[in-house]
Amino acid sequence: MLVHRRTKRGKLAITLVATAALALNVLPAHAINLYKADGVSSSTITLGITSPLTGAAAPGYNKVPSAMQAYFNYVNDNGGVNGRKIKLIVKDDAYNPVLAKSVTNDLVLQSKVLALVGTLGTANNEATTRFVNDHGVPRLFVNTGYSGFADSKKYPTTYPLLPSYVMEAKIMGQYIKENFAGKSVAIIYQDDDFGGDALKGFATAGTKFIAKIPYASGSQADPTVVGKWIAGLMALKPDVTIMFGVSSATAAALGGSYKAGFKTQWILGSVGGDGTTIATVAGPTAVGLLYGAIGASFLPAPTDTTDPYIAQFQAINTKYNAGVTFDNNVLVGMNSAMLTVEALRAAGPTLTRASLLKAIAKSGSTFASAGFAPLGYSATSHVGYNGYWFGTYGPTGAIKPIGGTYTLYTTDSGTGAVVKATSTRPAMPLKGLPNN
Amino acid sequence: MHNRHLSPRKRALLSLGTGVALLAASGFIGELRNYQGAQVAVYLVAIASIILLTGYSGQISLGHGAIMALGGYGAALSFTLWNFPFEIALAFGVIVGTMGGFILGVAAARLSGPYLAGTTLALAVGLPSIADQFHVLGGEQGLNFDIGDPPHWVVRLEGNDFTQYKWFFWISTVVALIALWAITNLLHSSYGRNWRAGRNNAVAAGLAGINVARGKVLAFTVSSALASLAGALFALLLGLVTPTAFPLSLSFAIVTGAVLAGVGNLAGSIVGGVVLVAIPEISGALTTHLGDSQKVSANLPGLVMSALLILVVLFMPNGLRIRKFKRAKKTT
Repeated sequence: MLVHRRTKRGKLAITLVATAALALNVLPAHAINLYKADGVSSSTITLGITSPLTGAAAPGYNKVPSAMQAYFNYVNDNGGVNGRKIKLIVKDDAYNPVLAKSVTNDLVLQSKVLALVGTLGTANNEATTRFVNDHGVPRLFVNTGYSGFADSKKYPTTYPLLPSYVMEAKIMGQYIKENFAGKSVAIIYQDDDFGGDALKGFATAGTKFIAKIPYASGSQADPTVVGKWIAGLMALKPDVTIMFGVSSATAAALGGSYKAGFKTQWILGSVGGDGTTIATVAGPTAVGLLYGAIGASFLPAPTDTTDPYIAQFQAINTKYNAGVTFDNNVLVGMNSAMLTVEALRAAGPTLTRASLLKAIAKSGSTFASAGFAPLGYSATSHVGYNGYWFGTYGPTGAIKPIGGTYTLYTTDSGTGAVVKATSTRPAMPLKGLPNN
Repeated sequence: MHNRHLSPRKRALLSLGTGVALLAASGFIGELRNYQGAQVAVYLVAIASIILLTGYSGQISLGHGAIMALGGYGAALSFTLWNFPFEIALAFGVIVGTMGGFILGVAAARLSGPYLAGTTLALAVGLPSIADQFHVLGGEQGLNFDIGDPPHWVVRLEGNDFTQYKWFFWISTVVALIALWAITNLLHSSYGRNWRAGRNNAVAAGLAGINVARGKVLAFTVSSALASLAGALFALLLGLVTPTAFPLSLSFAIVTGAVLAGVGNLAGSIVGGVVLVAIPEISGALTTHLGDSQKVSANLPGLVMSALLILVVLFMPNGLRIRKFKRAKKTT
């Protein structure tokens, strides 16, 4: 009896194996013949982005893809690019490299996107690098400051956009030298590549610290950890304290020092210094803590409506992204989308992955964008923006340039000098519609 | 594949036949399916580790994602530090995970039910973030590596369009089949019988001369070996390990896979693996159908998975099975 039943089980097992094999087989396989003009038809251009839409990293960053979509819709309503409409496929990666890899597979092999744009996060981009390289997929305006992505040998199809963390720290070091000479300086930094790059930059700039306080990513959620930062700082009383961490750590440091009555001149790294993101992670009252701190950015202040790019993007946001507050994330999204449109236009009517990459190498440095720093794209360089300006935060968390005008410092990720920039930003194309 | 009527030789032949069939099939499916097939194989091994632990030894773990992390980091470190070939890296990952599993297993044998679930859950929450504390583990950015191109003989055999994903599929399929075959044999041995005896009635098993506690530690260790193997394969597939690659949701996903498979049914791990990979795919297709809304696409996979889990627990408590058949009573 038993033996008879188990025979049935045996058959079942075989059936299961066979079904699994069949399931893999029968499902339509789209993924043959790559390297063709994927993602381009006579009427559409298909692009893809992976970004955290859910999970802990989603607040703030989840506004980037929809802002890009809004700008593309605006361009589509005004004739598209060489007669083609842009379609952006957005995939959630929950800030998890495993998910990033599988949704990137879907985007490239199944949706057959022409290029990936604005993909977010260092680890997530690393996880897909080999695949992206093997398939020659352009990965444009990557949303991370890890300096490694500018290495055109290792990442031949990747074009990062943000200035690297090394650049940011070097520039911050120079700013401190010029404005806080002889003052004592301390730093709180995230103890990984992000903070490591920063320390490298400060070392190059010759910044001396009376205290360096590392924290493990995630430990900022623990009030006792934050208490230790502040106690350490209060013992040494630095005149200037640099916070080089993510938004939640920045909010924790500012909140902790406010509660303890600790007074210092805060200088905040750009990653953790966005007012609306701080409001999202730490509550709306937290933005008040930013008041008086110094921050750095390479884009104009999102509240500065005298800037033509900001005014135009705000108008697009109101019409095409209704109900979404215009902040730095929306600005980053629209700015990347504008650069994407310029790259697509530069590639001409016979658009392929190869022609797109060639166009950026050839004329990427001339693309108009809201960033004050020039873009370093050329046949030999994949470096994006290379500079920062400094501003102070008002009581609402909005950042305003010190002295009323944007004073830009530029540098490189190596040992090059930090200089006050003399270049002028390309004028905004009429109505924010690229005409290159 | 828990078929006692099959002789060990027939089981070996079945595994071999399946392997050959799957490798042959890899040539006819696209690159995406090859990657997904490799993912199925990885999940299959992970789910098998839960089935072995819960279904056969009666212990609960919500922390196998952390054991997978041990295996993954072990394999990744052996790449980045010593440049081991991938076979040895896999083995190294398994050794690391097995040692971790043994230590946890000793503690686990003293705990049961919700206490064990709680302990392992804490491990899943805490362990991956240890990587942030040590520079050699790469912190938040993790460790990057590339297992490189398939060996020359494979390329010569298969032609130049042999992609890295196909290579992953080959590796994972072969490893998964060997693991399943070995585990099936183990469960048919006196060890497997002792585990089941301990699970069904610990007192009776003890009276019969079985050392139940030792059996539990061993089961936890073997299950950890499997989980760390899955983790090491996972790391190879990604070319990367980070704390975010082994989130809490991974631990839950493999337990979900095991429940869908039927926790007492090792062969079901295949179903579990396929379901875990297929659900995001199916919900992706559904979202496109519903008009590509960001809100829908972000939340649909979780909804489909949860709904499926509820339905299975309510209506098919023994797991998704293609054909229902009645068994009088669970025999040991």
